[in-house]
Amino acid sequence: MIERWLIALATAFAAFAAANAWRSITSGARNRLTLPLLGATFIVQLMALGLRGDVRGACPLCDTGEILIFLSWSLVLFYLLVGAAYRLSLLGLFTAPVVVTLQAIALIPGMMSKQPTRVDSTQSWRETHAALSVLSFGALALAAVSGVMFVILDKLLKEKKFTSGLFNNLPSVHNLIDSTKRLLIIGLLILTIGIIAGFLAPSFEVNRHLIVAGIVWLAYAVFVSVTYVRGLPPRQIAFSSVILFGISLLAFGLI
Amino acid sequence: MKLFCLGLNHETAPVELREKVSIANTHLGIESSALVEGKPISEGVVISTCNRTEFYLAADSLEEAATTLADHLQNRFGVATDEHFYEKHAREAAVHLCRVVSGLNSMVLGETEIFGQVKKGYAAALEAGVTGGVLNRLFQRAFSVGKKVRNSTGIQEGQTSVGSVAVDLAEKIFGHLKDSQVMVIGAGEMSRTTAQSLLSRGAHSMFVTNRSYDKAVDLAAEMGGSAIRFDDWEESLKKVDIIISSTGAPHHVIGPAHIEKVRRKRKYRPLLMVDIAVPRDIDPAVGEIDEVYLYDVDGLQELAAEARLRRQEQIKLCEAIIEEELAKSQLPGL
Repeated sequence: MIERWLIALATAFAAFAAANAWRSITSGARNRLTLPLLGATFIVQLMALGLRGDVRGACPLCDTGEILIFLSWSLVLFYLLVGAAYRLSLLGLFTAPVVVTLQAIALIPGMMSKQPTRVDSTQSWRETHAALSVLSFGALALAAVSGVMFVILDKLLKEKKFTSGLFNNLPSVHNLIDSTKRLLIIGLLILTIGIIAGFLAPSFEVNRHLIVAGIVWLAYAVFVSVTYVRGLPPRQIAFSSVILFGISLLAFGLI
Repeated sequence: MKLFCLGLNHETAPVELREKVSIANTHLGIESSALVEGKPISEGVVISTCNRTEFYLAADSLEEAATTLADHLQNRFGVATDEHFYEKHAREAAVHLCRVVSGLNSMVLGETEIFGQVKKGYAAALEAGVTGGVLNRLFQRAFSVGKKVRNSTGIQEGQTSVGSVAVDLAEKIFGHLKDSQVMVIGAGEMSRTTAQSLLSRGAHSMFVTNRSYDKAVDLAAEMGGSAIRFDDWEESLKKVDIIISSTGAPHHVIGPAHIEKVRRKRKYRPLLMVDIAVPRDIDPAVGEIDEVYLYDVDGLQELAAEARLRRQEQIKLCEAIIEEELAKSQLPGL
């Protein structure tokens, strides 16, 4: 099963990216490798997902392992889009361990089917729904990562601890709030389209999954609306993005 | 050919003397030429900043060079080479130049401006055609040593003044400052200096308020900002990102209620507050508001002092690099 080896390779790249980011913080050296290493992670993940999708004859979201790999791929995708745009190179330090964790879980025997069966009949709306929903969680996960970075920077600023390598390498408060807010709205938009696609699927039915998805969507919709329309203190935005993401992941995990 | 250096700086001479031998950037080439023309000196470079003037010479006889330079200073500036001047020969002169270029002899240890100032002095002499095999190699080596010292030690890390610490914090909060609006409460010298630092790093508009409106108008004019009457400053709270306060008020001028009133209107944007006043103008409780980052003068001075201490600790390492690099190079004139 070559996909497992590819995922192991992608995990090694991500682990190396995290180690490199950490080294650059502690030594004060410029962080040049994190972005290309996560770029390599992205390509290898894509190859694994491509092979898996080919075997399945559908979007590779048929077992827990595939969902975790797809989620970590979308996380890296948004890191590459946002990290480069916002010069948030340190975002790699926080993103890479999440990718390593998700993929390490996916590699646990039993998580990814050793002999994936071909999906007999695919429904395009259902496929779109599944792919976009997981993709949206990539954006929402990265919003949570950016939120964690803000919480750390905010604590260092409030406690006047300005000499650590971490403080010097963290992006500005403004950049972190801005990227968190943008990732939240991107995630919500993709999730909305994903849910609409789910409604359009011929196999649509009211079940626990739909109820949880509806609650998650509503929670994010209210949170994003309040953030943009009324405004929220940055710390509340950061904490909410982390807590909401954690609860959503847990809720979907339980069903 | 021997290397010779004569100079004075902020540690050896008072400003009254330093200003007498101070040379404008535009005249450095002419002054370098004047050292050499018709004299027993083969090469000459003059460095002049607000804190130092130094003459680097290459001549066959050190005694002759010293006498000629002393006469030149007497005739040209009306200054006698007394105890305020230091004289360095051969290797000692080369080490001194490397220390100067590395910022080890500067008033603010490790400052970077001196590197460019020495380069200007050397470039002017080079253009005037009064440098040769000794000074060209010496200065080029000193520049590469200076770069190595700065890159491989922490000699220029951290900010050593209250103003620059405040600017660094502002950049950590807002990224670039070009969209940041600043309000200065109280037109004292410290707030003027800090505000100038912010403006120099891109802050784009400034409001000044003071109990004496005329003083606010003066400072606002100087900063290219606008003055606000003291009774009206609260109204501006909703649009500013940075507040610098240094009034002479014996009580708190800004309390949590002032900020709470405008939080919604500000959409909870981050607010940096720098309180330079003693007694403090801003109630410390303001710092407990989520999006407010409040720093007082003690905190900023502590940071500046820590940075100065960290730089002091790097001196030995810098000196070792200078010794090692000079030992590796076979400079003529040493």
